[in-house]
Amino acid sequence: MQFEVIAKCHTTRARVCRMKLAHGVTMLPTFMPVATQAAIKGLTPQQVESLGITLILNNTYHLNLRPGIKVLDEAGGAHKFQGWNRNLLTDSGGFQLVSLSKFTKITEDGALFASPFNGEPTMLTPEQSISIQHSIGADIIMQLDDVVSSLTVGPRVGEAMHRSVRWLDRCIEQHEKSGRKDKQNLFAIVQGGLDPALRDLCLDAMIERKDQVTGYAIGGLSGGEEKDVFWKIIKQCADRLPSDRPRYSMGVGFAEDLLVCVALGVDMADCVFPTRTARFGVALTFKGPLNLKLGKHTKSMDPIDKSCPCPTCASGMSRAVLHHIVTIETAGAHALTIHNLVFQARVMGGARDAILEGRFPEYLRSFFFDYFGDTGYPEWCVNALRSVGVDLMQGVDVPLVKGSGVRWEYSDAA
Amino acid sequence: MANSAQTQPGGAQPVGSCFPKLTFILDQGKQFGPRVGRLCLTRPSDTPSNHLIDIPTPNFLIGTSRGVIPHFSRDHVHSANGISWINVSFESFLEQTPPVPTYQAGSQPLHDFFGFDSSKHIVSLSLRDPLDAREMPPNGNSHVSASCMRGVRKVTPADWRSYVLTMQPDIAFALSDTPFTAVPHSQKRMTKSIERSAAWLADLLRPVEHTMDDSSTESTPTALNVFVHMAGGTSTSARRAFSHSFMETLHGLEADAVKPLLCLDEGVAGYAFDLAALHVRPAPSSTHNDKGGGIEIAESSLILQNSELLAQAPTPNAAHTPTSISSSMIEPISLLSLTPTLDELLRASLDPLPIAKPRLVTDVRSPHEILRLIKDVGVDVFDAGWAVKAADIGVALDLIFPVPCSHDSDPDHRKRDVGHNLYDAKYAYDFVRLSDAFLAGCDRTSSSKTPVCPCAACSPVAITSPIYHSKVDVQSHQAHLDEGTSREQFSPPFTRAYLHHLLHTHEMSAHTLLVAHNVAVLDALLTGVRTILSGHVDQHEVATIFAREVTRFEEVYDGDMSVFHTARENWKDVKYARGKGRLAREAQKGKEVR
Repeated sequence: MQFEVIAKCHTTRARVCRMKLAHGVTMLPTFMPVATQAAIKGLTPQQVESLGITLILNNTYHLNLRPGIKVLDEAGGAHKFQGWNRNLLTDSGGFQLVSLSKFTKITEDGALFASPFNGEPTMLTPEQSISIQHSIGADIIMQLDDVVSSLTVGPRVGEAMHRSVRWLDRCIEQHEKSGRKDKQNLFAIVQGGLDPALRDLCLDAMIERKDQVTGYAIGGLSGGEEKDVFWKIIKQCADRLPSDRPRYSMGVGFAEDLLVCVALGVDMADCVFPTRTARFGVALTFKGPLNLKLGKHTKSMDPIDKSCPCPTCASGMSRAVLHHIVTIETAGAHALTIHNLVFQARVMGGARDAILEGRFPEYLRSFFFDYFGDTGYPEWCVNALRSVGVDLMQGVDVPLVKGSGVRWEYSDAA
Repeated sequence: MANSAQTQPGGAQPVGSCFPKLTFILDQGKQFGPRVGRLCLTRPSDTPSNHLIDIPTPNFLIGTSRGVIPHFSRDHVHSANGISWINVSFESFLEQTPPVPTYQAGSQPLHDFFGFDSSKHIVSLSLRDPLDAREMPPNGNSHVSASCMRGVRKVTPADWRSYVLTMQPDIAFALSDTPFTAVPHSQKRMTKSIERSAAWLADLLRPVEHTMDDSSTESTPTALNVFVHMAGGTSTSARRAFSHSFMETLHGLEADAVKPLLCLDEGVAGYAFDLAALHVRPAPSSTHNDKGGGIEIAESSLILQNSELLAQAPTPNAAHTPTSISSSMIEPISLLSLTPTLDELLRASLDPLPIAKPRLVTDVRSPHEILRLIKDVGVDVFDAGWAVKAADIGVALDLIFPVPCSHDSDPDHRKRDVGHNLYDAKYAYDFVRLSDAFLAGCDRTSSSKTPVCPCAACSPVAITSPIYHSKVDVQSHQAHLDEGTSREQFSPPFTRAYLHHLLHTHEMSAHTLLVAHNVAVLDALLTGVRTILSGHVDQHEVATIFAREVTRFEEVYDGDMSVFHTARENWKDVKYARGKGRLAREAQKGKEVR
């Protein structure tokens, strides 16, 4: 990997970077759409690439089950298998073991879980996770970490953090001896739950191993924790992580979360949210999400967003047509998936331009005003951005909203 | 449940006489037998787009579901080059009163609302989905029962006329009184069907009344391009009677209503045959009815993948041919002898009519049926429904016409399948393009005689101008282009192994790629037909050569379409096994089979 910081925000910790991997250059900060089972839901790789997307994510857990490593090996890796010629990142499979498998038991050796095929006890070790990811062949691979729910408290959190460090060492060893270091890049995952002391210990240990890892992820968040805790942990990690390594915030996908993370110094994020919400009939816009299932869109001849360059909006596809097909026709899901991916890319692309042009604080202020101006700013966003020198409340008369402040179009009344 | 949709359309007002002109030129051919022609649509010169769409026939049209081509996003509709005629069935829009598309403003509301390209696409409008043969409440003297998600709607000829005049389709299908009630239908019912269908046709052919500035009214012919469903069901005499009825010179009030037309046929641009209604047969044998049809389809329209609706069985006995021995062995002999064959029915309808009008058949169910209808009747346009259905159930079509000599030698004398059931485990490691009969775009060589499949699955076009989201994005694309070692125009094809994976993981992308591929294969089939038919001057010779090629096709490819049956079973297995614990359930099932 060639990694270069090409611009920094004069106020916040935000930065623009150029990350060159085996399958081309990706400009950061960026959002990574999730192609869980080797396909962005409903789209072809050509469509995804045409949207200006240069880095997507595959899930190791899923690809290991189907099509399986043997198929991927014979295909020559996941890039060739799915016809994706751009950069690819795979997670380690640790998160899905915890979220999808009932009987996972973590031992020092690895994660012991019931095979979804026959229920037999199966072990996923850090070494195996890395070697599976070698078969997949992604440009960025993740260490296997000991994932605990972000709501977990007590000694288990510390244990998981320490184990994640030990597993990182085993992943590094496996990766070093693979001879694939020139093509694939290993990222460490900072754990430690919501406890700043544990996070610091983990950061100490992982920064020590900087020469063996090409980037860092911040894990163990986006699991339902308080937003005020979320941003503080992100800030703590981003502040301390080395500036010459990309920083990846796992599972972050709401536009406001993305921009806060970028302001705190995060370079990459992934989430299924934009693609999943598309399948439920929700279009993302700079004025908040639009739930196209609602009756108020029945007769609207307007596109989702007149200024959007996505093929859905550019073709003039009206909200009325979308209302008629979303959640019924696959084509409805495709149209909104295309739009939502472009929305995410526009949010991040806009951030890149703003940072480059020295107007990122203004970009934040105008984004939040458009997105939340009518309902009120989430208090946690205001707090988070104040911590890096941007005051959203300055000069505007917008109420503060407690809690997550997530915008949602619930009903026709809204 | 039944509701009347009597209200006039909403926003846009009917514009009147700016319909494009549809002409059909029969280059070669006789009343019955293979023929080639051209369907030309000329748009009024004040429209901004290309004025002429020229479709060589035989060709195909593709139907829509809720106004969209199944599984295609708009960029795919525009990049799929074979698609030049799209049919929109209006009934799903009866959920709202007035129907929402009638709010679309502009001079080409139907194209604009659905995002079709008026310089490339002929868009026709029918009330009902021609592939939907589910049982329906009876039609009345002045209404057709149409189906939408909120139930059954009654649509009067006046409603239909106003929808058509508002939506400005390139081609409109007249309402037809096709009974979708339990078969068999009485003779009285058939007589009614014929009378109503003719009356409703006449209603659509009435001139448009313009209100002039000085508030007098003036009538001008609609210039609508009207296709008519050939009524008469499975009775050849009823079919003949229907056709005769609109060749008759009109008198009195009837003549006044459609002035200046002398007979109804003068206002008819083409003849349509909906085989869906004919495929529903009286059921003396249980083999015919095991599909049940209705119930399964009804629930499926509410879910995202409405594939079941499209996954109906082909009916191998639809036309009796000596070559499809196995299918006729299964059918009760009595049925075959009592019921006129499909081509007899079509010929009965066409016999009294002028030959130089396009003939359209919907709900064909196999390439064999298409070829036979071209050979024995002379059909000009077919709907692509069966190829889309194949994509729904995971079948990648792999067939070619005329059959090349290399296809001759099959050691075990087993017929080839018309496609690959990509659910089959044998494709898990099959890293090749979808069709043997076609090359992938990136494998194109000047020396090879094998044609290239131009679809999005076999010839994916490498991206040269993606959307940039910031000014530095050019770096990621420039660097990529520089290093791509002079990037080829086409990326490698998607493989059977990848599609196999997508189908088993229930990924929607599988169906998108398969629709693109199957439609391209259908396009190539009909291109092959046209090449044969236009390659010889002597009409008799053409017919003989064509018949020989059809026989060869039938000898080489399995006309029972058994690959569709197994694919449908596999598709169901994946569908029903979905959800938590699925891998275990499938493993268990695998054991039981073994």
